[in-house]
Amino acid sequence: MSIFEYNGSAVVAMVGKNCFAIASDRRLGVQLQTIGTDFQRVFKIHDKLYIGLSGLATDAQTLYQRLVFRHKLYQLREERDMKPETFASLVSALLYEKRELAKDFVVSGTASESLYGACESMYKPDMGPEELFETISQALRASVDRDCLSGWGGYVLVVTPTEVRESVIKGRMD
Amino acid sequence: MSRRGDWVYENNGGTCVAIAGADYCVIAADTRLSVGYSILTRDHSKICELADKCVLASSGFQGDIKALHKNLAARELLYQHQHNKRMSCPAMAQLLSNTLYYKRFFPYYAFNVLGGLDSEGKGCVFTYDAVGSYERTGYSAQGTGSTLIMPVLDNQLKSPSPLLLPARDAVTPLSETEAIDLVKDVFASATERDIYTGDKLEIVVVNKAGTRREYIDLRKD
Repeated sequence: MSIFEYNGSAVVAMVGKNCFAIASDRRLGVQLQTIGTDFQRVFKIHDKLYIGLSGLATDAQTLYQRLVFRHKLYQLREERDMKPETFASLVSALLYEKRELAKDFVVSGTASESLYGACESMYKPDMGPEELFETISQALRASVDRDCLSGWGGYVLVVTPTEVRESVIKGRMD
Repeated sequence: MSRRGDWVYENNGGTCVAIAGADYCVIAADTRLSVGYSILTRDHSKICELADKCVLASSGFQGDIKALHKNLAARELLYQHQHNKRMSCPAMAQLLSNTLYYKRFFPYYAFNVLGGLDSEGKGCVFTYDAVGSYERTGYSAQGTGSTLIMPVLDNQLKSPSPLLLPARDAVTPLSETEAIDLVKDVFASATERDIYTGDKLEIVVVNKAGTRREYIDLRKD
């Protein structure tokens, strides 16, 4: 089993009209055993910037801590928040890989192939926050139900210029 | 895998889907044949009509698939001669399972979806693994695009659990045109993200009037 499949994960983010949504599953496993059902994979960097980290859970947490550290230093020096494009460069520099700014959606994790199919079918551009919430929840639910390493509910965050809405999605607990 | 001197298979890619309705069955597959990162042809059918109400779609290693289809077609002809009628879809489903398991220790590299009408005229779909394990379901997808397509079919067709009592029909309440539109949509999505799926979509529809075929263009990149 690949080390990226050790804990199991599903993360998806979508772009809407003046809003975005980011969602993840909540399972933490050790290979086939589930050891947590409320594991957080989506983290806040600042009010308008969130990052979802799939893959090995310990590395996701370490990477998050390092990114927050770098962002706090940036805030001290620049006296402002980092722009998402800049942050993406920071992440890609830390991971030694090229970053891509998607115009529609991004997916990650053990359920990524299922997520690709579901998002490709359900996504349309310029959705409002309510429609985006529905779409991302349905796509996440349908995809994790076909992946034995991710699931146990979902966590969805929708961000608009004025508010942030967090919700926990009911799903199959198996 | 091909560094070993004894690897005799190759994956020619492609995706197959089937959806069962109350009185119809839709079987579809793309027509691209690939090897590695190359395309061998954009115009190859993965679908075989084994009997008048029974259609098989297979993806995987085309060498094995050709042999499997030929084998099954021959057995169906023998059945016709011996029983003076064509094989029913559930009968062909069992034959396919047995044929695949017969080669349990040197399998057919074929991922099959069998679709058609059962003896009562209701749509039926049977889905297989490479060594013959099979199940009657309301819908299925096999091949390189199957992981992309199955969640969408789950979401749209919501098959009842086999554990429910009383047992509920697995067939979808969708109309024939709605099911065909769904098939076109899922293939368009799979074509975007799966490099082995694309070129053209071949759709075969089986209902009591007979069997008809249509072709839809897909992205060629």
